[in-house]
Amino acid sequence: MNRSVSRFAYRLLLGMHPASFQNEFGAEMLWIFEEESRQGAVSHLLLDGALSLLRQHWRIKRESGMLSICSGEVIANPGVGAVRLLQAGLTLCAILGSVMFLSGPAHSFDPSIRWSAQEPCYTISLQPVTHMAEIRRTLP
Amino acid sequence: MASGSSKNPPLSAATLHILLALAGGNLHGYGIIQEVARNSDGHYRLGPGTLYDNLKKLMDAGLVADAPKTFAAKRKAAKEDDRRFYTLTRDGRAALASEVDRLQSVVTQARLRLQEARSGRA
Repeated sequence: MNRSVSRFAYRLLLGMHPASFQNEFGAEMLWIFEEESRQGAVSHLLLDGALSLLRQHWRIKRESGMLSICSGEVIANPGVGAVRLLQAGLTLCAILGSVMFLSGPAHSFDPSIRWSAQEPCYTISLQPVTHMAEIRRTLP
Repeated sequence: MASGSSKNPPLSAATLHILLALAGGNLHGYGIIQEVARNSDGHYRLGPGTLYDNLKKLMDAGLVADAPKTFAAKRKAAKEDDRRFYTLTRDGRAALASEVDRLQSVVTQARLRLQEARSGRA
């Protein structure tokens, strides 16, 4: 690979690193890249830079209170982590509840779309069949 | 095994090599890479990303620190280098010692097993 192209690619990779890491080590990493690339070993440096980029972003995500499934640990920083855990729990409950409700044998649904001229709008409804029968019976 | 081994978990290969390189004296980043390559006869070569990722972790854990300013100033005055130098802290030395003890016990166990296998075959 052309040296200037590889240097540009490495600078690009460095530029995508978190700002704190970049400020602390960016200049030194670039200096080492220059030294090492003189010996012609560029591809492993680029790969190393890409892996470093992934690690740094992964580390920031972990530190900001996300669930880490791979390592089996739950990092719950006060505030943000607790809120996220609550949101995740509620979402999971809502999804599971919906699936259980919809998959039940007594709950087949009757979708309908109605146009109302008085209030010019469409009404889209998803009612259980039993309810629909009841509604149809009571309609004039 | 050393008593400190329980509080120092096993080190990764990169971490071990970095601590080992710094045990010989204060070094800058590229110096560490070169020292690691020398120590491993060129078999293990750290990339700058791996090096600084691990250095950051080690510094956060208090095992490695910036070299004292007097050291860096001496290097600068001697026009040898104006780079950032890193040094092994007391905790870093203890972690390295405990890892060496751990590896030593692994080697002892391995030798014992191999001897047993050899005598069982004979």
